[in-house]
Amino acid sequence: MLYRETGQFKTSYAADMAIFPIRQDRIALYVLLAIAFIGIPVLDALQVWPFAGEYLLRAILIPFLILSLAAVGLNILTGYCGQLSLGSGAFMAVGAYSAYKFGTGVHLPLGLFDIAIPALPVLPSILLGGVMAAAVGILFGVPSLRIKGLYLAVATLAAQFFFDWVFIRVQWFTNYTSSGSVTAPELNFFGLIVNKPVERYLLCLIFVTVVALLAKNLVRGNIGRQWMAIRDMDIAAELMGIRPLYAKLTAFAISSFIMGIAGALWAFVYLGSWEPLAFNIDRSFQILFMVIIGGLGSILGSFLGAAFILVLPIMLDQVPHALGIPISVETVSLLVFVVTGALICWLLIVEPHGFARLWLTGKEKLRLWPYPY
Amino acid sequence: MRATGGPEIAVGDVLLSVEAVSLSFGGVKAVSDVSFDIRKGEIRAIIGPNGAGKTSMLNIINGFYHPQHGRITFKGATRSRMRPHEAARGGIARTFQNVALFKGMTALDNIMAGRTLKMHANLFWQMLRVGPALKEEIEHRHRVEEIIDFLKIQDIRRVPVARLPYGLQKRVELGRALAMEPELLLLDEPMAGMNLEEKEDMSRFVLDVNDHFGTTVALIEHDMGVVMDLSDRVVVLDHGIKIADGTPDEVKNNQAVIDAYLGVAH
Ligand SMILES: Nc1ncnc2c1ncn2[C@@H]1O[C@H](COP(=O)(O)OP(=O)(O)O)[C@@H](O)[C@H]1O
Ligand SMILES: [Mg+2]
Repeated sequence: MLYRETGQFKTSYAADMAIFPIRQDRIALYVLLAIAFIGIPVLDALQVWPFAGEYLLRAILIPFLILSLAAVGLNILTGYCGQLSLGSGAFMAVGAYSAYKFGTGVHLPLGLFDIAIPALPVLPSILLGGVMAAAVGILFGVPSLRIKGLYLAVATLAAQFFFDWVFIRVQWFTNYTSSGSVTAPELNFFGLIVNKPVERYLLCLIFVTVVALLAKNLVRGNIGRQWMAIRDMDIAAELMGIRPLYAKLTAFAISSFIMGIAGALWAFVYLGSWEPLAFNIDRSFQILFMVIIGGLGSILGSFLGAAFILVLPIMLDQVPHALGIPISVETVSLLVFVVTGALICWLLIVEPHGFARLWLTGKEKLRLWPYPY
Repeated sequence: MRATGGPEIAVGDVLLSVEAVSLSFGGVKAVSDVSFDIRKGEIRAIIGPNGAGKTSMLNIINGFYHPQHGRITFKGATRSRMRPHEAARGGIARTFQNVALFKGMTALDNIMAGRTLKMHANLFWQMLRVGPALKEEIEHRHRVEEIIDFLKIQDIRRVPVARLPYGLQKRVELGRALAMEPELLLLDEPMAGMNLEEKEDMSRFVLDVNDHFGTTVALIEHDMGVVMDLSDRVVVLDHGIKIADGTPDEVKNNQAVIDAYLGVAH
C-alpha cells in the first residue's frame, strides 16, 4: 500500500495536470532534489566516502549533469519531434566557442563597419552561446522540412563535420592561440567565483534543474503535443492545422539552445581548457546513445541514459582493479567497449523504449501490487 | 460548435461545393469531372465500390490532394485547390480510413492536439506554464473532457493510443476531430472493421454530433444500412465518375447504382 493513487482525488484539472500527479512521485522528487542540493555538498564538506578526494564530483557527477542536459536537448529534437540528428557535438561546439568568444570579447573587422563587443560576464556568455547554437540549429533544421529520417541524419552529420573543420581551421574562434586549445575565462557569477569542484557541481545542478523543468513544461504543453504529432503522423498533424515548419524549427531551436548551453558548460565548467576534438562525432554518438537507451520522448529517460552511458564504463574500468585482476589498461578499455555495446544491444532487445519505459512499467506493477493485473 | 472565420452560412444553404473536379495519378484517373455540394447541417454520404475515388474526394476537399481541374467553393470562397491549413482554419476536420492517430501519445493528448489552432499562448508562457499558458491549458482541458464524456472514453484517457483496440482508436480519432469544433466533419469509413454494437455506438455519435452541435458531416461508408439510416443525401461514385446523387431512396432504386454494385460491365 505504499504506492497508490487511490484516495488522492483531483479536484481540479490544474492538480491533475501537475508534473507528478501522484503524491509519492512528488515526494521522491523532493527527496532527490534535497540530496542533490544539500546532501551531496554536505557529504563533500565532510569528505565522507565516496566523496573523499573530489573524484566522484569531478569525474562523475559534473560530467553526468552536463551530458544529461545535452541529452535533454537532443531528446526534444529526436525523441519528441522525431527528427534524427547526428550533430549534437556540433551544436555543443557552437555553444562552447560562442560563449568563449563572448566571454573574451568579440572583434570582427568587416572593413566598412567593425563589430566590437567587449568581454561579457560568464552568465550572459553562456546564454548567448545557447542563442548562437539555436540560430545554427534553425539553419540546419531547414532541410528537415523536405527530408526525413536517415537523410536528415546525414544533413546533421554535415553540420558536425563542417563545425569540426571551422573550429580547427578558423583561428579567429580560438583567438589565434598557437596550439588551437583555448582556456575558459574565470567563472565569475556576480562576484561569486566558482572554482572548487563542489561549486562547479552546484552551478551545473542549477542549470540542469532549471532547464529540465522548463523543458518538461514545454513537452507537456501545446508545443510539445505539436512536436509529438509531427513525429507520429505528420500528415494528420498538418491537416489539423499544425504547421510542420513552425513545429520542426522550434524543436531545432530549443534543442540546440539546450545543447549549446551544455556545450558551454562542458567547456567552461568541466574541461576548463579544450580543443575542438572535445565536440567531435564521438560526442554526437554518445549523446544519441544516451537518448536511445534512456528513452526517446522522456525527460527522465535522458538522465537515466546519461547515467548509464557515462557511469557504466567507469564501473567496468574499476571492477578488475577492485578484484585485483592484473590486466592491462588497453585490455580494460577494449573490454569496456565490448561490454557496453553488448549491454546496449541486450537492453534494446528487452525494452526498445529504454529505461524510461522500464521505469513506467515498474511503477504500474507497483501500483497494482500485489495483484498481477 | 462552430469554427471561426468566413461568413455565416444558414442551415440548408450550400456550405461546400466541388465543380467539375478531376484528379489523376499518372495514368490513373481517381476522380473525373465530379460535381456535388454539401449543405450546411446535413449528413452527406459518399458511397461507391472500392477504388471509386471516395477517399481521394475527401483529400481534395481538405487540401491534401490538389486536383488538376475544377473548382472548390467553401463558405463562399472559390479556389482551384484547398490548402491543408486553410481547410483546418476554415473549420474542416476529418478522420482517416486507416486510423491516423498520434500513436505515441495518450488518448487525452491526441484530443488536446485537436485544440492546437485554438491555443495562442507563446512559448515563453508555455515554458513557465503560468499565466496565459496555464489558463489556456485548463480551459481547453475542460472542453476536451466534455468530448471525452460525450464519447464515453473516460477510462482510457491516459492510455497511449497504440495500445487501444481498433474500435476505441476510431472513437479517439473522432474525438480529436471534434476537438477542432469543425463546421464540416469528413469521416472516412468510420465504422469499417467494427462489430454491430460498435457500429451502433458510432452511428449514435455521428447523429448526435449532427443534431446537437449542428456540425455538417460528409460520410464515406460501405454499410448500406448505416448509410440509409444516417444520411440526408447520398452521392455515388464509381471509377471516379459520379453516377448518382439524391436522397437515400432515390439512390437505392437508381439503375446505374445497382449495376455498379452488382458489377455489371460498362
Ligand atoms: N496517392 C495515390 N497515388 C496513386 N494512386 C492513388 C493514390 N490515392 C488514390 N489512388 C488511386 O485512385 C483511385 C481511387 O482511390 P481512393 O480514392 O482511395 O478510392 P476509395 O476510397 O473510393 O476506395 C484508386 O485507383 C487508387 O489506386
Ligand atoms: Mg477509401
